[in-house]
Amino acid sequence: MLTAALLCSIVLAVRMGSTDISGMDILRIVMYKLFGVGDPELYGSGAAADIIWFIRLPRLVLGAAVGMALAVCGAVMQAIVKNPLADPYILGISSGASLGATLAILLGIGAFLGSNFVGVMGFAGAFGVSLLVILLSNIGGRTNSVRLLLAGMALSSVCSSISSLVVYFANDKEGMMSVTYWLMGSLAGAKWEQIAFLLPFVLICCLFFWSQSRTLNLMLLGDEVSITLGTDLHRWRLIYLLISSAMIGFVVYAAGMIGFVGLIIPHVVRMIFGTDHRKLLPVSGLLGGILLVWADVLCRTLIPRSELPIGILTSMLGAPCFVYLMAKRSYGFGGEKDR
Amino acid sequence: MKIETKALEALLGENHILKGIDFEAGDGEFVGIIGPNGSGKSTLLRCIYRVLAPAGGAVFLEGKKLQDYSVRQSAQKMGVVAQHNYYNFDFQVREVVLMGRAPHKRALDRDNAEDYHIVKKALEKVGMSEFAERSFSTLSGGEQQRVILARALAQQTPCLILDEPTNHLDIQYQLQLMELVKSLGKTVISAVHDLNIAAMYCDKLWVMQNGTVIAAGFPEEILTPTLIRRVYGVEAELCRDSLGQMHILYPCVRR
Repeated sequence: MLTAALLCSIVLAVRMGSTDISGMDILRIVMYKLFGVGDPELYGSGAAADIIWFIRLPRLVLGAAVGMALAVCGAVMQAIVKNPLADPYILGISSGASLGATLAILLGIGAFLGSNFVGVMGFAGAFGVSLLVILLSNIGGRTNSVRLLLAGMALSSVCSSISSLVVYFANDKEGMMSVTYWLMGSLAGAKWEQIAFLLPFVLICCLFFWSQSRTLNLMLLGDEVSITLGTDLHRWRLIYLLISSAMIGFVVYAAGMIGFVGLIIPHVVRMIFGTDHRKLLPVSGLLGGILLVWADVLCRTLIPRSELPIGILTSMLGAPCFVYLMAKRSYGFGGEKDR
Repeated sequence: MKIETKALEALLGENHILKGIDFEAGDGEFVGIIGPNGSGKSTLLRCIYRVLAPAGGAVFLEGKKLQDYSVRQSAQKMGVVAQHNYYNFDFQVREVVLMGRAPHKRALDRDNAEDYHIVKKALEKVGMSEFAERSFSTLSGGEQQRVILARALAQQTPCLILDEPTNHLDIQYQLQLMELVKSLGKTVISAVHDLNIAAMYCDKLWVMQNGTVIAAGFPEEILTPTLIRRVYGVEAELCRDSLGQMHILYPCVRR
């Protein structure tokens, strides 16, 4: 049902935008592009076809993929560090990404990487830092959730101080603006070539995590209980971290940083469906996709002829909804419930 | 199932907690480990249920070294009920018990009707059937402990390890839990705080002090005023009731 809702959302969302295009035309354009059905003169080219096929549709598909990745990674990260406050960016990924972007925008490092070198550097920063976090937390003992969090925090502050240093010495107002803007996240850069890689990658990773539901459940019980239940979490934790870091790295590459989705979606789903990852992961993924599709529509339409960064919108709308749910339902957030 | 340790040593940081333990629990025996706080009872159990790696010596399951079993295999042999079960995330009672099936599952296996049947039976056994849908964190300490026992039962292991399972429980639940475990006929290794409970349920007792075993045998041989004074430093009187049941009394010191 949620899958249907996601598809419907995309279809509906395609219609919304500054240019009004009728539903039938959209259908015909998509049919032509996908299956070569229909009149190439009418639907194969022209303004309407371009808007749908090259601007709106890729954004929405990217939005769905990014939302899915963020929500699933959020749930997985919360299991890995056994902490309900975790989000996909927690283990230094956010500050790593911003360091990469800052270096790219202000110092032009990595310009040889092509036109989207800021995104590439963001990816490198995010993935590099999470690798370092994993490495650091393994020195002098086995990783556990606390060591991971501490290593993540330590590296985060190193990265952000380097970013600040660069910003301080660069003294480049315009550059700083674009760093800030980039960090707020946007789906505007969506291209089919990107999606052709990102979407299958996200889907495969989500399916993989879904297949790992049992182990993820055990992670919430802790290392010791898991050993007595037949699973040594150590190895799995590393594998999950690597995969989710790669996922989030690509999300950062494609869309910058989009906050709050990865934190709240898993909690909202837990409130309704419980903690079992067998339900939590698929529902979170679909809900995350739906949320970002609609958030993107709002971003495009809320202010005429202008666009709001999607990260701002998700946080602004997400936080109040979340507080409302928190107040309304008896949900413990992992803490002890009031009896 | 027979469980042994030979010359088992364990370190916690710099501290030498276990100093060469030779321990043995025979097939179907209910073995109690007693001793004062800090004597190494829990550490010994933690070595046996594999969350602590010994610094020397080894644990043997059915004569084979514990390290030679995979974690999965050893979890098919031993179920564990430990002292502390606080979870950061809220699971349903049924989900908690279902996790006891994990050692019998491969990554892609689904939980089938048989698993749910086993879970249902386990919950019935501990008298928690009506609680199956409740969330674990809303249960009282005694109820939580019974759910954890149900999880260990769902593991369907020949051996149960109890690490002071009745700590913080009311006497009613203490007796209920021990009675239930006793009725299973499995090999049980349990750290026991209360000497009267040890006398009631254990087939054999092992006494630990400062990381060594200082005595082992049948409860009536072990629980003597002399030994209790030596190990715990308190005076004790022993008496038997009309049914022949042994009771340990602690006369008031200020008398």
